[in-house]
Amino acid sequence: MSGSITKSKVEPPRSDLSTAETRSRLDAILDLSRDGILAINMDGTIIGWNKSAERIYGYPASEVLGKPLSLLVPPDRLHELPALYPAIARGGTIDEFETVRVRSDGTRIDVRLSIAPIRDERGRVTAALAVMREITAIRKALKDAEENSVKLSDRERMLRRALVALRQSHEEAKTAQLQLVQAAKLESIGRLAAGVAHEVKNPLAVIMFAIDYLTDAIPSPDENTVTALTDAREAVVRADSVIRGLLDFSTATELSPTLQDVNAVLGRSLQLVRHALTKAHVLAVEEFEDDLPQAMLDQNKMEQVFVNLMINAIDAMPSGGTLVLRARRERLTEVDQEVGVRKTDRFQVGQSVIVVEIEDTGTGIDEAARARLFDPFFTTKPPGKGTGLGLAVCKSIVALHGGTIRIKNKEGGGGTRATVVLRSIRSKEAKSDG
Amino acid sequence: MDKIRVLLVDDEPSFTRMLKLSLERRGFKVMVENNGAYALTIARDFLPDFIFLDVIMPDVDGGEVAATIRSDPKFKDVPIVFLTAGVSKETTRVKGDVIGGQTYLAKPTTVDDVIRCIEKKLGKSTSPTS
Repeated sequence: MSGSITKSKVEPPRSDLSTAETRSRLDAILDLSRDGILAINMDGTIIGWNKSAERIYGYPASEVLGKPLSLLVPPDRLHELPALYPAIARGGTIDEFETVRVRSDGTRIDVRLSIAPIRDERGRVTAALAVMREITAIRKALKDAEENSVKLSDRERMLRRALVALRQSHEEAKTAQLQLVQAAKLESIGRLAAGVAHEVKNPLAVIMFAIDYLTDAIPSPDENTVTALTDAREAVVRADSVIRGLLDFSTATELSPTLQDVNAVLGRSLQLVRHALTKAHVLAVEEFEDDLPQAMLDQNKMEQVFVNLMINAIDAMPSGGTLVLRARRERLTEVDQEVGVRKTDRFQVGQSVIVVEIEDTGTGIDEAARARLFDPFFTTKPPGKGTGLGLAVCKSIVALHGGTIRIKNKEGGGGTRATVVLRSIRSKEAKSDG
Repeated sequence: MDKIRVLLVDDEPSFTRMLKLSLERRGFKVMVENNGAYALTIARDFLPDFIFLDVIMPDVDGGEVAATIRSDPKFKDVPIVFLTAGVSKETTRVKGDVIGGQTYLAKPTTVDDVIRCIEKKLGKSTSPTS
């Protein structure tokens, strides 16, 4: 194959072609190939080298013919060679083996090799012919494509995350808007309350004094006069109660918190409703967990909340029943409307809290009423019995404490459960606080 | 026994009229002033044993009127109680009738409560004299 593959000056192996014409045709074919073609003898010496090999490796034939094949192999790939020769010698072929070779200027190139044995007349393998295609550009394109695919996946993930974050912030914005609306509503109710209080309480005061005066001035009133005066007095007291409730609501905006034992606050609240309990034949059951952590509470305001919830529970049991008061510590484990993982969430997963439950054995609340329970002036009680401000005040006070309040019918029916969740203070913080 | 002299300073004429009638019926001597700005002048003339002051009045607030009256040494020991329409149920439940060192009576109130307040402040019983 001398000069056959190239213009080789090296002696062709014995298996070489017999006629000059055949050789010439073969040369033309080999030089036309866009793949690099080289021939090596069985000791690894390069004995053939076509034009494309020259282009790919940068060596002219004169510089590689007679040189070892290792000239083209980078040091980290030399280990491939010892395995090649025996395989070829046994008559095997190597098909599309991808590896790395090195150019005359030292540049590494990616190549795909196919190697086949060359045999003499007797069929003995005397040399090998290697066809190689440079695939550096293809490899790079593939690598780029892979990288781009990874980048695309990353971007897709980022987009998905952004979408989730966007949805979340949209929800937060909606909640914040609702809170703002609620706050604006409360603020205007507050202003309204103060104005109404002043404008209504003065006339009420006049009526009350007038009733007192008439009571004194009529020496022996008949039964109807007594009824008229009594009803008038009660009407003033009732109107005053609504106004005072409104004022409570409008002033439920600031706290004077101190470290408090929640069980003690609940106990005092229970004392305040003892009379109502007895009157309504309601039995109170206390289920207070011992050694509860303390909480920063405005004692009076929190008593107001508990008393309100207890009075509601008692009012829900006109024929008697059981009022259950529970206080326990709990570690929040699940994300919900009020429990999240961010600092801005009202409560965080893993946080320790104090849970207070006030349960009755009444008839429960219907769904329509439940949605409006905390709306100012919403009441299910008969006229004169409630102002509809109690739960609105409770919610404001609990929210000011950074807590939550929920009212639900008990699972399986048979009454209502109000749940107040409050932040607890760890014993260390409590001690350092004084 | 001399009648206890009560000065009522409140911009609501019907309120002061009714309270005056009721207190006079119970044996008090009552003077009314519906303009807070004239309270000190009237007090100097009337020499009250006890003063009721409205907190919110159109031209001057009750706190200023109290300070003006107190600035006259003649009235430094005369009890002054504020009548207010602006105190909430929660406030009175928690703080009682003394807020910021000052005694309040929340409107509406009864004549009995007004008299109990006077007796408590003056430290004497005021059994009806008429």
